[in-house]
Amino acid sequence: MSRVAVVGIGHSRFGKRTDVTLGELAFESIKQAVDDAGVDKGDIGNVVVGSAGGWYEESLPAVVVNEYAGLSGAGTMRVEAACASGSAAVKAAYNSIMSGETDVAMAVGVEKMTEVDTPTSVELIGRAGSYVWEFENYGMTFPAYYALYAVAHMNKFGTTEEDLSRVSVKAHRYGAMNPLAQFQKEITLEKAMGSPVVSWPLKLYDACPLSDGSAAVVLASEELAKKLSDTPIWIKGVGYSSDTANLSRRDDYVGLRAAVSAAAKAYAMAKVAPGDVDVATAHDCFTIAELMAYEDLGFCKKGEAAKMIREGQTEIGGRIPVNLDGGLKAKGHPIGATGVSMAVEITKQLRGEAGKHQAPIRNGVGLVHNIGGTGHYAYVTVLSRD
Amino acid sequence: MDENPQLHSRRTLNLRFDIPISKTQEFWEALKKGKLVSTKCMKCGNVSFPPQADCPKCMGGEFEWVDLGTDATLVTFTHVRVTPASFAANGPYTIAIAELESGLKALAWLEGAEQQSVKPGMKLKVAARDGGEGNPYYVFVPA
Repeated sequence: MSRVAVVGIGHSRFGKRTDVTLGELAFESIKQAVDDAGVDKGDIGNVVVGSAGGWYEESLPAVVVNEYAGLSGAGTMRVEAACASGSAAVKAAYNSIMSGETDVAMAVGVEKMTEVDTPTSVELIGRAGSYVWEFENYGMTFPAYYALYAVAHMNKFGTTEEDLSRVSVKAHRYGAMNPLAQFQKEITLEKAMGSPVVSWPLKLYDACPLSDGSAAVVLASEELAKKLSDTPIWIKGVGYSSDTANLSRRDDYVGLRAAVSAAAKAYAMAKVAPGDVDVATAHDCFTIAELMAYEDLGFCKKGEAAKMIREGQTEIGGRIPVNLDGGLKAKGHPIGATGVSMAVEITKQLRGEAGKHQAPIRNGVGLVHNIGGTGHYAYVTVLSRD
Repeated sequence: MDENPQLHSRRTLNLRFDIPISKTQEFWEALKKGKLVSTKCMKCGNVSFPPQADCPKCMGGEFEWVDLGTDATLVTFTHVRVTPASFAANGPYTIAIAELESGLKALAWLEGAEQQSVKPGMKLKVAARDGGEGNPYYVFVPA
């Protein structure tokens, strides 16, 4: 089977970006990725744009982004898989190369979430479930969805609010090393524990912020990738799955079965085991989500995620460092950009270009875990140096 | 503070949806009488909640309405403090997922319980509420 590699990466500064429009913001990443790949932008046959949308003024982000970057004429579409839209875009770009349609494709993730007021953003994300049965009468919010999982995990496994806060402290420690992160300041456990409740047991410091940002990756076919790059990072495994819109139709609330399924597919396709992973990004939209990810990805046994974070097993020097770019919590979570941002981070790590937050790379294997909604969509991508 | 110049758009967008309920009308009518009913597939016997006319298990299109009862056991919950824009007037509320006698689960507000007393495993009852404009909804209350 032929292969596809990441040959170019680009990443904007994340945060409240009132200085740029959607097109300008996407361009920051597109320009870097095209330059990094060393391709002629006219050779990009397919530009897949991951964006959830609804909070910015444009209805057709893909064409707006392409027009600004002079990419009109390329095949394009906007893909939506909620907070996993970025990984869905990477997968669609990957598919267009694997199918032989094109030798070069680009995935662009972009979101501008701060052009509307915060309660409206909370409303738009809160509707990310089954509208009539969860929102219309009950006003679900995104923190509330994950809080339902947090309570169940705490009740079944003895995970504590302090364990959740430990995830946030780790995120901020690494965010402080990432010049593109929305929050670049370390925090204490006391500060996280003392922050206001958003949806009990989740507090402000358990939640990722609303963010603007973009990221882009240029992908190339095997033959071309070897010509373009000395360090192509191969997409070795892509697993994806989904679950019910309505949370009441889930079996339990202590893990995301879509993530378990996506991970199994990605590991099988890449022919690697969880223990082979040198470095990972996990979808920490809320602290509980990162803990469940450790378990869903097989980094630890079910119910042992709290032990992993307490023992520092997911820090540099631990068994599997996770979210060394600050994660969604500190780096920021511009929804459609996140999956592409994760692919950029793992590519940097595997290239050995992550600077202060570089993980030791032994097997040359990195993993991207990107969840849409509350496990409504799940994408797991395995990247490799060989 | 943010000092970048902005074009503050003059054009607003106000979305209000008219959502069809003709295939689940019996559910809403029964709820007005305080009953929680749902759809049972005539072909494979699968009971769905929320109700749906087409069976998600076997794709059969014939169904009957069955009574789900009003006894429930709390599975998980959260106390929502930061609410969406359209719930600004509702203040903090508790959302619970509870298991009905049939094993099916439902999500709704939990009303009338002291926050400290809410625990997984607590016994609940389903109760109907009037949402205005003839639209009922259901909540959980302590049994």
